[in-house]
This record gives sequence, C-alpha cells and structure tokens, in this order.
Amino acid sequence: MDIFTTFDVSASALKAQRTRLNTISSNLANVETTSTPEGGPYKKKSVYFQTKPISFKEQLDSSIQGVEVTKILEDTEEPKKIYDPSHPDAAEDGYVAMPNISVLKEMVDMMSATRSYEANTTVIKSAKRMALKALEIGR
Amino acid sequence: MNPLDPFDSNIQLLQKVLDLRSTNQRIIATNIANAETPGFARKVFTFEEQLQNAITAKPGTLATTHSKHISTAPTSVSSVTGRVDEVEDKTGIGDENGVSVDMEMVALSENELLYETAAQLLNKKFTLLKYMIQEGK
Repeated sequence: MDIFTTFDVSASALKAQRTRLNTISSNLANVETTSTPEGGPYKKKSVYFQTKPISFKEQLDSSIQGVEVTKILEDTEEPKKIYDPSHPDAAEDGYVAMPNISVLKEMVDMMSATRSYEANTTVIKSAKRMALKALEIGR
Repeated sequence: MNPLDPFDSNIQLLQKVLDLRSTNQRIIATNIANAETPGFARKVFTFEEQLQNAITAKPGTLATTHSKHISTAPTSVSSVTGRVDEVEDKTGIGDENGVSVDMEMVALSENELLYETAAQLLNKKFTLLKYMIQEGK
C-alpha cells in the first residue's frame, strides 16, 4: 500500500501553513509601513486555501486531497488615520494613513498556523511509525 | 478454520485490515490537512461492517437481510473496499468547515494503534509459522 500518499497530503498542508506563516510575518513586519512602491500604506495580506487533488491510481482518488494556497489577497479594509502632522507621509490635514493590521489578530492567526503545522507533522510521524511497523512483519 | 493449516485465512484478513487502515490514515490526513480550507466537508472512512459481513458470509452466497434482497455486499475478505462518506457539516464558524482537529487526532492515534495491532498479530503468526517450519527449534 502506498503510505507515501499520506506524506504528500500532509506535506501539502505543511507548505500551505508555511506560506500562511510567511504572510503573517510580512503583515507583522509591516504593521507601521506607511508607504509602499504601489503607493499608500501597506495592505494586510491573507492567504486563501483550497483543496488540491493528490493524484494516484486508486479508486478512492477523489476522497484523498491535499491543500494549497491558491491566492494571496490584499485586505480591502480602509487604512486607519492617525493624526501626526510631523510625519513625512502625512496628508495636508495632518493625518497619516496607517496599515489596518491588528497585531493581536495576526498573533492569533500565527498560533493557529503553528498548531495546524504541528498537527500535520504528527500525521506524518504517525504514518512513518505505521510504515516501520509494517516493515517489522516477518522479521 | 483448520488449526493445522498454517496458511489460514487470518493472514489474509490481517493483510486486508492493514490495507484498509492505511487508507483510513490517508483519509484522516486529508481531513487534518484541510482543517482550515473553507467549505471543506469532512470525510469518514468505514469498513468494519463490510469486513464483518465478508467474514461471516459463506463463500459464493450473498449476504441479505430480507429474502427478496439482492445484496452486492462483498462475500470475500479480499473484495472489501470500505466506503468514504462525506459529512456535510457546515457548522464551522466563518469558513463552513466541519473538521474538528482534536477529533481527527484521536481518530488518527486510534487508527495507528489498530494498525500496529494488526501488524503485530501478523508478525506473531509468521513467527509461529517459522517455529513450526524449523520443527520447534
């Protein structure tokens, strides 16, 4: 039996969660970035997960699916305005457009990504133990 | 089952159990991998009943619950494939995802334990067989 399919499924999840973590770290790093090459303050980015078929020849094909990040979307939320006339990026009225990123939310999201990553590594470990156990047969 | 027949059907049965448990492992892995995919429906793999029917059914006969039923239930252990059911549970807050990671982790360790049990039983059977072949040496 193909125990490596489990690895493929969980590995796809590890990859997706890592991309998510990268996005979160980018959000956290740019929590105070007021100007970007595209103009305006940094916009919070979110990953979009979708199921991804893992191809193999079994009849249960469609029921075994991995996951992948298909899109990284920019938040459409309005930037928050902070009054700081001395800021180089301040508008005429003295307000600076700051990225609308909630550090708390990002931290929670980060924990969630970490836990999900861990859950998937546990699955890989478990699959490995099973494979080793099968190898012991007849030893 | 003839106790003197070393290659009894238990070996075949245990082999099938290993097969099915390994499929179950993949289904659980799918659920955990997609625990945060919006709209993903949790999948459940069941085979116990099918396997039970296959064990109790006499070869060549169809297992039926009613005299007029035509059953397609597997009659030999090797033809058991198990069944994958999608649980349409859209109760997940925000993402309509029905996967509960804690439940899946429990299912994962249970499945792993049962897999190892089957593997160990198989191992014991082969050890015994070896002992017999070597005339108890």
